[in-house]
Amino acid sequence: MREQPDGRALLAIARTVLREQLLPLLPKEQHYSALMIANAMSIAERQLQYGDAPQQAEHQALVALLQQEGDLVFLQRELVRRIRLGWLDEQTEAKQLLWSMTEQRVRESAPKSLSRSG
Amino acid sequence: MSAISPTMPLLQQQAIIDFLCRVAGAQDVQLQTVKLLTGGAIQENWLLELAITGGDYAGHLAVVLRSDAASAVSSSHSRAQEFALLQAAFAVGVTVPEPLWLGEKTVFGRDFFVMRKANGIAAGHRIVKDTSLGGDRELLTERMGEEMARLHRIQPPNERLAFLPVPELSPALQGIRIFRQFLDSHPTPFPALEWGIHWLERYAPRTTELVLAHRDWRTGNYMLDEQGLTAILDWEFAGWSDRLEDVGWFCARCWRFGQFNNEAGGIGSRTALYRGYERIYGQPLEWQNVYYWEVYAHVRWAMIAIQQGERHVSGQEPSLELALTAHIVPELELEILRMTL
Repeated sequence: MREQPDGRALLAIARTVLREQLLPLLPKEQHYSALMIANAMSIAERQLQYGDAPQQAEHQALVALLQQEGDLVFLQRELVRRIRLGWLDEQTEAKQLLWSMTEQRVRESAPKSLSRSG
Repeated sequence: MSAISPTMPLLQQQAIIDFLCRVAGAQDVQLQTVKLLTGGAIQENWLLELAITGGDYAGHLAVVLRSDAASAVSSSHSRAQEFALLQAAFAVGVTVPEPLWLGEKTVFGRDFFVMRKANGIAAGHRIVKDTSLGGDRELLTERMGEEMARLHRIQPPNERLAFLPVPELSPALQGIRIFRQFLDSHPTPFPALEWGIHWLERYAPRTTELVLAHRDWRTGNYMLDEQGLTAILDWEFAGWSDRLEDVGWFCARCWRFGQFNNEAGGIGSRTALYRGYERIYGQPLEWQNVYYWEVYAHVRWAMIAIQQGERHVSGQEPSLELALTAHIVPELELEILRMTL
């Protein structure tokens, strides 16, 4: 086991210090940069939190859907090929998978946009 | 905009003074202020405060000198082309910084032009919240519609804008072709974007007349002062397109800066925007087709965001801002799916 606290926990505490202690001391024109740093740290934190599990799940789901073997990028390319041919138009299951694949990437990159109203 | 320091070399300052004397028909030009406003990989903008003696511009004149950056990477339009676009927009009454003089490489070492300085604030997140800017917001939104309709009066063929390629296909299908070419050359597949592009292909409108579209007309790309609109900026992407491309880009959810209920750019209602547009255009438009161009806007912005991220990922231009732009792509894709699944 790695030394504790792990990368995710370190990012979390470092981000708190940045936001609560450093940010108020920075000149206003540097706030945007500080907030960008905080945002980058939280994306990295969430990627560590989810690990490889979502990609493995996506891989398995694509194997089942497309009835093909291959690595994740290969299967995504095959999905793209079929989208262009119109194969997805009537495929509810495939559309659901497309949604959940995308939703997972949003969970890591910009989770706030998931909770939008309407 | 905040001043970043470096100053203009004295030799260049003298060359600019000589140039300004000549084009302004002045006896004397004093450079009272020389300040670099924004220095990027593509352009530099210098604020020049001038005291002019003699000629049509005698007195105080504040201008912006816009030049290619010293180490310019390729951009969509040259300075001469951008100057021609500003002139065309100015001539039909669109609120742009008045284009004054086009310079030659021999003067400044690179291409440049000079425009009158416009005052105001452009930052999108501030504009949507700070209602002390821009005057009455519904009137402002109506004005936006009017301005767009004025620009769209310019149609091909146009001799001075002959450098703008006329799309071989309809503007929508032309865009789709470019999107797919880009995605085919990219190492990462983007299935959700591909779905959006497939949808765009399926419902592509037949554009019956081409107009000059700004193609980046959104909150963040215009300036406001306390009274109202002072300038439409950033003409880099302008080209012949469908008139609804600008309307869709302006209304797209991704350009509302969090003020989602103000569907026109986060600043006002669609009704106001459409009303202003129709007042100048003189006839009703099929506004239900704007939805198509809002989907298109999300796809196109996602393409640009991927490219911006790529500039960081490739190591060519390490930048936290560019790196984070890549992470906007998933939420754009999810919005595309919401709109089209």
